[in-house]
Amino acid sequence: METGTSVRTAMRTELAIAAFLVTFGVVVVVLARGIAPGVRTDPLGPAAFPTALGAGIGLCGFLLGIATLVFRGRPGRAGPLSDADPDEATEGGPFSPTRLVGAMVTTAAYLAAFEPLGYLLATPPYVAAIMLIHGGAGRRALLMAPILTTVALYATFRFGLLIPVPGGILEGILR
Amino acid sequence: MSFLENLLAAIATAPLIPGILVMVGGVAWGIIGGAIPGISGAVAMALALPYTFGLDAATALVLLAGVWAGANYGGSIPAILLRMPGTPAAAAAVLDGYELKRQGLASKALGVSLICGTIGGLISIIVLIAMVVPLGNLLLAFASPEIFALALFGLTLIAGLTERSFLKGLASGFFGLLLTTVGLDTLTGSLRFTFGRSQFLSGLDIISVMVGLFAVSEMFYQISHPTRGAPELVGRASTAFPTFAELRGVWRATVVGTIVGIIVGIMPGAGATASSFVAYNEAKRWSKRPDLFGKGSMEGVAAPETANNAVQGGDLVPTLALGIPGSNSAAIMLAALILHGIVPGPFLLTKHTGLVFTLFAGLIMVNLLMIPVGTVILRGCLLVLRLSPPVLIGSILAIVVIGTYAADLFLLNPVLALAFGIIGYGMRSFGFSAAATVLGMVLGVLAESELRRSLLISYGSWAIFVTRPAAAVLLLLTLGVLLYPAVMYARSHRRARPASSGNTAGSV
Repeated sequence: METGTSVRTAMRTELAIAAFLVTFGVVVVVLARGIAPGVRTDPLGPAAFPTALGAGIGLCGFLLGIATLVFRGRPGRAGPLSDADPDEATEGGPFSPTRLVGAMVTTAAYLAAFEPLGYLLATPPYVAAIMLIHGGAGRRALLMAPILTTVALYATFRFGLLIPVPGGILEGILR
Repeated sequence: MSFLENLLAAIATAPLIPGILVMVGGVAWGIIGGAIPGISGAVAMALALPYTFGLDAATALVLLAGVWAGANYGGSIPAILLRMPGTPAAAAAVLDGYELKRQGLASKALGVSLICGTIGGLISIIVLIAMVVPLGNLLLAFASPEIFALALFGLTLIAGLTERSFLKGLASGFFGLLLTTVGLDTLTGSLRFTFGRSQFLSGLDIISVMVGLFAVSEMFYQISHPTRGAPELVGRASTAFPTFAELRGVWRATVVGTIVGIIVGIMPGAGATASSFVAYNEAKRWSKRPDLFGKGSMEGVAAPETANNAVQGGDLVPTLALGIPGSNSAAIMLAALILHGIVPGPFLLTKHTGLVFTLFAGLIMVNLLMIPVGTVILRGCLLVLRLSPPVLIGSILAIVVIGTYAADLFLLNPVLALAFGIIGYGMRSFGFSAAATVLGMVLGVLAESELRRSLLISYGSWAIFVTRPAAAVLLLLTLGVLLYPAVMYARSHRRARPASSGNTAGSV
């Protein structure tokens, strides 16, 4: 059974989500109103559909806020973390925000280095970093897997699918 | 041409060797992907999506159909061998599959899963063909107002059926529709939400968005919720096909699984997981030996495995007939069509008859290929299963980046995949639906263009949506779906109040 504190936390989360949706909806409406009409070919114009969608998202947020305040944790209330797609949901261990942020930042850094450094040089450190962030990989796996993955993917794309992969600083050698 | 002639023509004109290679590759990747816990059928399909870029639309669809069919079976491999379902839909197979493994019957259980799954898949494709053609002919009378109403109905239906929080489901769907408005408006030439960047002129790349929402967010989820190392696999495994007598022993469960799978598949949003559990329970009810269920019953493996394979055909009925995908996997199939410049919708069958029939032929062939590929690939699956999660996750993220980049050699695509991976993670954490967003993206193109076309026909009068009976009925149904959660809540609340009035004072 849910305790008073957990109900309050869930309510606060729901209200924050509702506020986010309302704000997002308003931003979309404002941006949509600023769309230039262009050549007038249809009665609706280019701004109406996104405006309606922004309003719809905002309305969903407003109703979610109202529902959270009115129903206050009673049965049927929409709760956070409640509705992952049953065909997609996976079980996991305890949540680690450090790992999550680490993986996101590492991926962003990899994308930044992808073209200037080249695929062959940027990928092994990236795969190794992800393995380290996840944890649990042995020393041998840490040494072998990033190189094998990189080489296998490079061979697949460059020689199998004939798709050019960014060479980066190795461009001259790889050509 | 009759549909049989169309089907035979599709089989006869299919490029045989490359076609079969694509199918084998698709089924093999599907089985391996499905066997890896955390990679559902939809994630396996999303990962394959960038590789369909260089293929023609029909071959791309057949490849994805192969991945989908393969993943349905692949999930049962770790379910039976490790008591750990590869996909959520294989969870029901754990109940008896692992018991059979403990009794030394793992190979036989894998064989039953493969054969019964194939039977379920094949029958569901026959039902699909039988239903889609008449449905498609029925929808020939549909014009722009009806198509817009249909798209709206499909979106609300998915939002309502897949979510416990209907409002979040609806908001997710609206977000998906909104994503399709990015770029150059083809009717007026206006720029929408491009923020002055020419890269957004042609809109957001649907593949990168899908890969981000499904695959990248899933990998981030697994990194932030790390599990134990690679599962312990004791001994060797192989596939032993059931004898005719053994198949006779599971025929009842196979029939139940097929019927349940098809019916559940046709209902948008219900999904393979629901079908396998419903089939398991129904097979137990109809079985001559219900006492064996949970203790190592072959019927307990046959029913859910048949059902989750039979879902594919059922799922494709609304997808191909109406353009409304009933699941993430079906939405990815439609995304592949969009990628090839084909707008999905009720006219898919009439405008692209050859394509649809090639898909039918491909579906039959991938289901038949499941047996040889499933048998051969088992050892490869076990090898992949022995890899530890960090190796798999690191490799999959590298595949995502190179795969989305390779689609058109554009760094914006992997950047989009990362951005939507983060958005997808947030959506998942706060109870939103990535599936509804993807559906919104698939239906968005159709919804806006048909809405504007309808108003163009009616000189701006909204009455066109109520004066045309089919459109009016669809909009009424949409309203019903929108109001349904509120009505149900009010009813359950009224019923719960007298029962709880005596003991819940101060519980809020």
